[in-house]
Amino acid sequence: MTNTYDSEDKLNKIIEINGIRVFNIKTNKFKTNTINVFFQDDLNVNSVSLNALFPSVLRRGCKGLPTIKEINLYLEDLYGAIFDCGIAKKGERQIMQFYFEYLSDKYTFNSSSNFEKAFEFLINIIFNPVLQDGTFNEQYVELEKSNLKMLVEGRTNDKVQYAQERCHELMCKDEPFGLYEYGSIDQIERITSDELYKHYKEKVSTLPIDIFVTGELNDKDIDLMKGRLKSIKRTAQKALSTSIVKKFVDKVSYFEDKMDVNQGKLSLGFRTNITAKEDDYYSLLVYNGILGGGMHSKLFQNVREKAGLAYFVFASLEKFKGLMVIESGIDIKEKDHAKELILKQLEDIQAGKISDYELNATIKAIETGILSLKDSQLQIVDFYLSQLIAGTHDTMENVIEKTKNVSKQDVVNVSKKILLDTVYFLTAK
Amino acid sequence: MKFETIEYNNYDEKLYKYEHSSGLKCLVIPKKGYSKKYATFSTKYGSVDNEFIIPGDKDTTRVPDGIAHFLEHKLFEQKDGSVMDKFAALGSRPNAYTSFNQTVYLFSCTDLFKENFDLLLNFVQNPYITEESVEREKGIIGQEINMYRDNPGWRVSFNLLEALYEKHPVKLDIAGSIESISKITKETLYKCYETFYHPSNMVVTVVGDVDHNQVFEQIEKNIQSTKKVSEIKRIFPDESESLNKKYVEQIMPVPTPLFYIGFKDNNFNLQGTEILKYTVAIKLLLSMIIGKSSELYSNLYDKGLINSTFETDFSLESSYAYSMLGGESVNPEAVKDLLVKEIRRLQDNGLELNVFERLQKAAKGRFLRQFNSVESISRTFISLYFKGVTMFDYFNVYDTISFDYITDVFYKHFDIEKMALSVVKSSKT
Repeated sequence: MTNTYDSEDKLNKIIEINGIRVFNIKTNKFKTNTINVFFQDDLNVNSVSLNALFPSVLRRGCKGLPTIKEINLYLEDLYGAIFDCGIAKKGERQIMQFYFEYLSDKYTFNSSSNFEKAFEFLINIIFNPVLQDGTFNEQYVELEKSNLKMLVEGRTNDKVQYAQERCHELMCKDEPFGLYEYGSIDQIERITSDELYKHYKEKVSTLPIDIFVTGELNDKDIDLMKGRLKSIKRTAQKALSTSIVKKFVDKVSYFEDKMDVNQGKLSLGFRTNITAKEDDYYSLLVYNGILGGGMHSKLFQNVREKAGLAYFVFASLEKFKGLMVIESGIDIKEKDHAKELILKQLEDIQAGKISDYELNATIKAIETGILSLKDSQLQIVDFYLSQLIAGTHDTMENVIEKTKNVSKQDVVNVSKKILLDTVYFLTAK
Repeated sequence: MKFETIEYNNYDEKLYKYEHSSGLKCLVIPKKGYSKKYATFSTKYGSVDNEFIIPGDKDTTRVPDGIAHFLEHKLFEQKDGSVMDKFAALGSRPNAYTSFNQTVYLFSCTDLFKENFDLLLNFVQNPYITEESVEREKGIIGQEINMYRDNPGWRVSFNLLEALYEKHPVKLDIAGSIESISKITKETLYKCYETFYHPSNMVVTVVGDVDHNQVFEQIEKNIQSTKKVSEIKRIFPDESESLNKKYVEQIMPVPTPLFYIGFKDNNFNLQGTEILKYTVAIKLLLSMIIGKSSELYSNLYDKGLINSTFETDFSLESSYAYSMLGGESVNPEAVKDLLVKEIRRLQDNGLELNVFERLQKAAKGRFLRQFNSVESISRTFISLYFKGVTMFDYFNVYDTISFDYITDVFYKHFDIEKMALSVVKSSKT
């Protein structure tokens, strides 16, 4: 196998076995390398909590390293390698991620391969869990259930993120996207070890798996992976659905949550009906940037700098589902004033009030943002994973090119498709 | 132009150091192959500096709490508008942050470094503050203060400082309070600016794929050559060696209680690499006592008393030092009791050499990771610069720190009499 690519600009598929794809992003500018294993599933009310739970049970121990303590001794011995897992939502997909970061061989001054140890570890964690009487360790399951419940309940601690997620969820309460990726308290409470183990067995053998390795891989490493992946028993791969996007809004919905807070969080949720696959996605990207994508944006300039209403106010896109949310932290009594001023900015764009400065600064900011991804292994991996999920095949350079081609008229055109769907306000009791 | 070059070939890192005639220092850390160029202009002036003697004055000046942070916001305003617009036009991302001990202005860009760098050097040297803009900023910062007041993680850490310190301003919120910032005027802002923004009290760092010669030339051209001034005398209240309070509790709507346990450390009077040695020692000790591979961690985790939010940290500045550990817990008191028991056990039985050696190796590996990110390199260099050391000095400290030294620090720092507990919990628990 020869690698024709030689930088973080390219994604190189090196293996596809049993529905497991392995990609390499060749780079040598970092001190560490990473291995990320992603499982993808449809967001579904019946599986969301089970999917959220099984990675944290797997994290507790595996064949050879049955406890947290033993896992951490292993990681420390590997020059302080980092291992963790997590759950993400991209459109109507639920992503289960296993992450490993280890020091590059170059800096460890020993002859053994750190890649091999890292890869073996991850395979064992995912495919050889600690079992007790043919099922998951009961104690591990119970404890991780309570940890997961705490995590779900604890999401209100970060009110900025919570308000944004809550707006998404309320807006899509009748769609799979409305599910929280870490599941729900009632469901988590009811899960038994047996049920979770059966679920895990099914998922681990049927869900598509993508593995991303950053750093240099040699032929020996690739042979090692092939051998290990061939030995894993997998059945027919599950065909995943694509996100439902198109939705007409006939009436704006209003929601309010009351909490013991000093600051109000106003979230405005919009349907754009445009995903990354659509032709006018790049117009939308620029639109979002002009509206609320940074310090030059209309929202920042007018709501924060001129009116002094907010410390933060920004707009962000969910490109897999075609949603946009405007998020702001304001004085509770300024809610109507802030909403009016925010919506005025959208109207201004529709009316074509876009300066050259706003357009050019936005395009330049997107370019800087994309190029900056190359300096973080996690962000590089996330960029390519997102491409796979969105069903697009863009490189970073490509994205920049398409952004540069967007004109003011394109932005005005796209602005007319954007519909206010939901107004959410997190306010004081 | 005379500059110093320091090379660390084992780690592929390098440092260029240059001093301008005004006393301003400039550090360039080249990162070949990185897209981002990350430049900062920082002053040794933070939220704790609220009482001082201006060079040449006899009397003490006491300024309102939160003024360093307020000034940080105001420097972005220029005679011809906001400097943010100019950065945005160049496609870069300007930002700033104020900590206890420094204020840092920065931008990151992938293009047009020279233009961005000129802009940074110039705006920080040219304040333009009007009465009207000071009043408007009070609204924006008021929202920022309210945002943090609603953040239980932020509250639990400041409440711990309140427990540790009776008088030291480290216990105060960095942004001050709505009440304290109401007293801030244009005149006081200028007074603080004149005092702390002298080049001899400042440092410039540039991290990224840049030409260091060009960076130094730009410094030569853009920095006003003022005479060196004498040291600013910073006044800190007489802080007792003992705790202010053993326990602080705040009621907030959190589903699971949050806690921090802290140890007040009065051995802050250290110089040069001694600072690094002491810091490394305490961080290693925290790992030995309650790190993920310790008996205590497993015990707490298995009992459901801590979860993956658990973290530890240590801070050491010229007038204070403390360690802290915490996260979410259903029973913070029980965590505290088991920690005390473990510290007592280790004090009786002694620390284990092999544990120390394993964690030393792991800690160095994890330290090397920080060189992956231009942001973390920059952050670490700045905070250490004002203490007279560089990030590279850590390499030697990790290699040479001894078990005897660690043991000595263990008995000094982990004094149960200097341990406080801060808890944020809801009224229901």
